[in-house]
Amino acid sequence: MTGRAEIPYVWLLTGLAGLVVAAFVLSLSVGPAPVGLGTLLSAHDGPLGETAAVIFFEIRLPRALLGLAIGASLGLAGAALQGLLRNPLAEPGIIGISGCAALGAVAVFYSGLAVTYPMALPLGGLSGALLAVLLLYGLAGRDTGVTTLILAGIALSALAGALTALALSLSPNPFALTEIVFWLLGSLADRSMVHVALALPFILVGCALLFAAGRGLDGLSLGEETARSLGIGIGRLGLLVVLGTALAVGASVAVSGAIGFVGLVVPHLIRPLVGHRPARLLLPSALGGAALLLVADSLVRLIGSGQEMKLGVVTALLGAPFFLALILSYRRRVL
Amino acid sequence: MAFGALCRLVLAAALWLAAVVVPGLAAERVVSLNLCTDQLLVLLADRTQIASVSFLAADPDLSYVADRIDGIPLNHGALEEILPLSPDLVLAGAFAARPAVRLLQSRAIPVIDLPLADDFATIAEQTRTVAEAIGQVERGEELVAEMTAILADARAANAQGADRTALAYQANGFTAGSDTLTDAVLSEAGYRNAAAEAGLAGYGFLPLERLVARPPDVLIAPATLPGRPSLAEALLVHPALAALDDRVDRLEIPSALLACGGPFTAQAVAALAAVQP
Repeated sequence: MTGRAEIPYVWLLTGLAGLVVAAFVLSLSVGPAPVGLGTLLSAHDGPLGETAAVIFFEIRLPRALLGLAIGASLGLAGAALQGLLRNPLAEPGIIGISGCAALGAVAVFYSGLAVTYPMALPLGGLSGALLAVLLLYGLAGRDTGVTTLILAGIALSALAGALTALALSLSPNPFALTEIVFWLLGSLADRSMVHVALALPFILVGCALLFAAGRGLDGLSLGEETARSLGIGIGRLGLLVVLGTALAVGASVAVSGAIGFVGLVVPHLIRPLVGHRPARLLLPSALGGAALLLVADSLVRLIGSGQEMKLGVVTALLGAPFFLALILSYRRRVL
Repeated sequence: MAFGALCRLVLAAALWLAAVVVPGLAAERVVSLNLCTDQLLVLLADRTQIASVSFLAADPDLSYVADRIDGIPLNHGALEEILPLSPDLVLAGAFAARPAVRLLQSRAIPVIDLPLADDFATIAEQTRTVAEAIGQVERGEELVAEMTAILADARAANAQGADRTALAYQANGFTAGSDTLTDAVLSEAGYRNAAAEAGLAGYGFLPLERLVARPPDVLIAPATLPGRPSLAEALLVHPALAALDDRVDRLEIPSALLACGGPFTAQAVAALAAVQP
């Protein structure tokens, strides 16, 4: 299972940060209008410059910012959940947190509440996510087997999906039901600075809480007894991760829909490089998640014509085979 | 002369046919299966002639006559709903309820099939066709004359021939390119269709970025979300569109005027022609 040698932590971070910057620039440069970064820099005043500025600052920049923040949230939440639950398959999408966040957001958006009170949108996603994490943590957290958590997650996902479809069916708006695709597969198409302003504060606080859990997760990886003897409060650690995940993932899903597998793929790719210490996994996972989502979101704009593909399609195409391979290797180790 | 006798015979036959068929033409129990024919029927027929219209005719977002439906039975294009009404004439659209239409025809119930109208000549022709079939020729001519007058006024209002572009932008970025009803409305009002110039033929989607990259002079799109919103419509309140406000005149045209081609569609032309540069 090892094979790959550990590389110095600073190099890893520098490399990943470089990847994120490149992916961010790529995301800013791709789109249906023939406008690139060069256009913006070379265009002077006048209608061309004005148009390029609108396309950049109102359409592409919010999209790239959200790709960065949401990718980081998902990668980080995946790494933290895997540490807390000591379960390699824990991921916000797989265990139903994203699905419940989508349900919360759907409820406040289609009822019209989020039109009157925009802040209701991230709060709705956050409430759904919080409910899901609390339920999972209570039901299958800590020292139950790997399968209990996954089964609970499947049940929760199915329930959230069904209730989302129900809520959309109840909307009198003729477009509502078709939009279940957005909520189940996720997309960053045509998001705006309004969405950035709504989601980013919650995402930042959530990520800060998750980073703060690093030392506790390190202790926990040695076992609960050892962690306690090191002076780590398991309850407080659980609270940090639960709240952090709810804030970061809930606000993300509220503006982008549920984008799967990022939180699974990224920590697993990075874990062998950082020596299996949960705290050292957190920052690289956030960077890797951001890079992955930015690239995936650039890809959906390049593939196909007309209405663009949903983001979850790309991440699932990458992530689902990865998930299967993980299950196989896990079984091989256990049997 | 044999020829004269033949002429008399043909004339007699024609008169007999007319005597038999013409009263039959003034249909008394008309069923419409399609939103577009619904509206023509409601505008032209006496209430007593209408046996049923489609359920869409009662939707104020789609139907110009939604407020005149009161009590007319609504159908969903199912044969089970239509047969008990024993219609003597059925109006259908090119895409509506095809299985029902075939079965009606096999039962010798007359069906008038109207294709989608995508210009004003076709609208006038279809109005006259339905008017004739239900014995309301006079009302048909009135409607056509009214429509022609509105179009003439619009043309006069734009006599100076301002060279401007317009674009109709709907939920999800759905828009109308060349060879569409909207295209006809824009050109009657004296505008070039920006969607057609962007290369779109028929109906399709225009990405927000491409709209912003080459904005039209007039943007036909609602500027507020409905009480029960959707992501599809949220696109229309995107800040990038608001950022164009100082260069683009924004105009909302009731969607019912453009959903189907009817005499009322001329009002959309009038609204557009009234926009001052």
